[in-house]
Amino acid sequence: MKLGPKAAAAALILSASLALTGCGGGAAAGGSAAGTAATALTLGTIQDVRSWDPAQAHVGHLLQPYQAVYDTLILRQPDGKLSPMLATDWKYNAANTKLTVDLRTDVTFSDGAKFDAEAAKANIDHFKKANGPQMAQLASVQDVTVVDADTIDINLTVPDPALEYFLSQAAGLMGSPKALGTDGIKTEPVGSGPYVMDKAASVKDSQTVFTARKDYWNKDLQKYSKLTFKILTDLTARTNALVSGQVDATILDPKNGKQAEGAKMQLAANEVDWQGLLLLDRDGAKNPALQNVKVRQAINYAFDRKTILDQVMLGQGTPTSQPFGKASGAWTEGLENYYSYDPAKAKQLLKEAGFENGVTLEIPSVPGFETQISVVQQQLADVGITLKVGAALTNTFTSDVAAQKYTTMYFSLFQGEPTVAINQIVSTKALYNPFKNATPELDAKIEAVRAGGADAGKLAQEVNKYVVEQAWFAPLFRVNQMYYHNAKVNVTPQIQQAVPSIYNYSPAK
Amino acid sequence: MIRFIAKRLGSGLVVLFVVSALTFFLLYISSGSIARNILGDQATAEQVALKEHELGLDQPLAARYFAWVADALSGNLGASWFTSEPVANSLATRIPVTMTMVFAAIILIAICAALIGVLAAVKRGWVDRVVQVGAIIGDSIPGFVIGVILVTVLAIQLGLFPATSTISPDSGADAWVYSMSLPVIALLINGVTGGAQQIRSAVIKQLERDYVRTLRSRGIGEREILFKHVLRSAAPAGLTVLSLQLIGMLGGVVIIEQIFALPGMGPLAVAATGQSDLPVVMGVVMYTVVVVIVVNLLVDILNGWLNPKVRVS
Repeated sequence: MKLGPKAAAAALILSASLALTGCGGGAAAGGSAAGTAATALTLGTIQDVRSWDPAQAHVGHLLQPYQAVYDTLILRQPDGKLSPMLATDWKYNAANTKLTVDLRTDVTFSDGAKFDAEAAKANIDHFKKANGPQMAQLASVQDVTVVDADTIDINLTVPDPALEYFLSQAAGLMGSPKALGTDGIKTEPVGSGPYVMDKAASVKDSQTVFTARKDYWNKDLQKYSKLTFKILTDLTARTNALVSGQVDATILDPKNGKQAEGAKMQLAANEVDWQGLLLLDRDGAKNPALQNVKVRQAINYAFDRKTILDQVMLGQGTPTSQPFGKASGAWTEGLENYYSYDPAKAKQLLKEAGFENGVTLEIPSVPGFETQISVVQQQLADVGITLKVGAALTNTFTSDVAAQKYTTMYFSLFQGEPTVAINQIVSTKALYNPFKNATPELDAKIEAVRAGGADAGKLAQEVNKYVVEQAWFAPLFRVNQMYYHNAKVNVTPQIQQAVPSIYNYSPAK
Repeated sequence: MIRFIAKRLGSGLVVLFVVSALTFFLLYISSGSIARNILGDQATAEQVALKEHELGLDQPLAARYFAWVADALSGNLGASWFTSEPVANSLATRIPVTMTMVFAAIILIAICAALIGVLAAVKRGWVDRVVQVGAIIGDSIPGFVIGVILVTVLAIQLGLFPATSTISPDSGADAWVYSMSLPVIALLINGVTGGAQQIRSAVIKQLERDYVRTLRSRGIGEREILFKHVLRSAAPAGLTVLSLQLIGMLGGVVIIEQIFALPGMGPLAVAATGQSDLPVVMGVVMYTVVVVIVVNLLVDILNGWLNPKVRVS
């Protein structure tokens, strides 16, 4: 008697699962990757945006999705040149403390609000108080005054040569003044950009879909009718999606790039970051050996940069001794091979410094850089320097760095505009100068860059020279960002960005 | 039976409470300066302080935990510290993806493992040896390796399935089936081999018991003995294995979802834990604990239904 319902249940489960497998089999026959039309672009990205509030926008590869829906005041060309966008013209006063910006008058936001001087002011004010990850971009801005309907004055507390650049980045994104500060804009962007979000087709952390906005003011920047960001955190998943045609372009690494090349994908390589050792404790607060410049120089002479690059990164990059990037203006040819591979000289320097019996450095392990660290460890051992590798960096590493937990670390760092780089790795306010090392000589050089206006890049060469000669770091190489795309799309790399701006894609003819 | 269920539910609630408290406090200890992590490496000390105040991190820990409990009891799981998205929303879009995959896999595992296990136990000989060797091989290859092989062959070389998920609100039911097929197969291969081995042992154990000999001596047919008596007695072992597999799968699914870019609980759990996004981690942990409690409860009820002796004990 009891077997009845049980048998029925079993039959039900069995038939349901057979139906399921049947479905799977049937589907398999017709299953293929969705082909993209000539006017649809699908990009594989590493992570979803945190919030669509423009004040929460980020830089680098995280800027891209914001560009789909928000215009910036200033447009940054692929080569780094700044050109008009929502701002038609901009000019500093003689003291470099006031930037007068002329604005377009023919732009509306997707909710119908008009873009004008009040809207621009509202955005800058909002960005300054919204406590976003890039709030530091407008740290030098005192306030904004509306001069007339299409002009604003941005008043500064101190000159800031990077301000125009920042207005082409997160700080320059303009959202509708009606939507700023609301909860709605966090999940659905409201901008004046070339695309509008198709919220119904988008899934958080999976894909974001945009459609071309009708009557967009600049058709030249709107090259697709549909734009999709597919969020693919896993490197293997990104490679598979690209090779199988699910995405048109994405960022890989040298090893997975080989697979993509095998599938006839094209590479748009671009040097953005540098990798190497940060010798943070230059005053010897925790490791007295690091106080001696000869020890720091010896570390620099210990590395066969070219060989490490070839072996670990399959040659994708350029060996270098300087932490400032090629496009920053601070880069100089003479510093490129300042420390050539010379173990004998390294040993000699250690001897002169009184450390012929050896030096011990402690560094944290860095997830993803284990190979580099072990090669570095071996080459340092060859000249008599012991590298002790400790526990791996965790999600608390920024606060650990700030708390002076590390005297030395291996890392990959962005090479941005000169003042951006100074604020990141050199100045006493920089996170990657946690021991706040400074000398009057260096302070004067930094001050000159800050007040230097258009000459900031050239003046920053002095800062670069100083930190290279004083061996504040031991850079190994600038690495190629391996951005791959298929034949359906043309891609122009964007200077100082791991992934191109969205304006740099166009359908292949 | 009702008292039995009530007792199990009561102990489940205690587990939920203890796990939530442990997770909350452990996460707090290991999270460092979360405000600085949210704001990034350019943030100033003032910004960090402002953010800490915004998130209520300047409140005492116990007060923060009880505030979380009070909110959770009223159905409010809070919002992600990083994205401001309500945790309930994140869970609501992701649980169906993960659960579809896990349940499809577990049902198929149940059927296949039962068939293979019983076949091996009854036939023995070479069939049994193949099943045993298969179990060792199947157990020793991790699900994600099988997943990678499946993607390479079936998706990239043959183009039969999409290499990564195509699930989206506008894609319809077939996108679910396409996207789920390879991950389910990857989970299936791993689960079936282990499950079949367990069911085989349980059935053999029953077949060697005295009551089977008695039934045979009375002239009752082998088929009736197997389906009516042996399987019923062997079922608890099978169900326990399946429930353990289901719970174990909640871990394995994390990697599978990353490989196939499925918008399920896995990537959410990884991202939230990596960032110490406390409200989201708490949401993920609560979901996992609830699933474990419900699965165990269902297995107990099913066992009780199949075998009244269990209810008494």
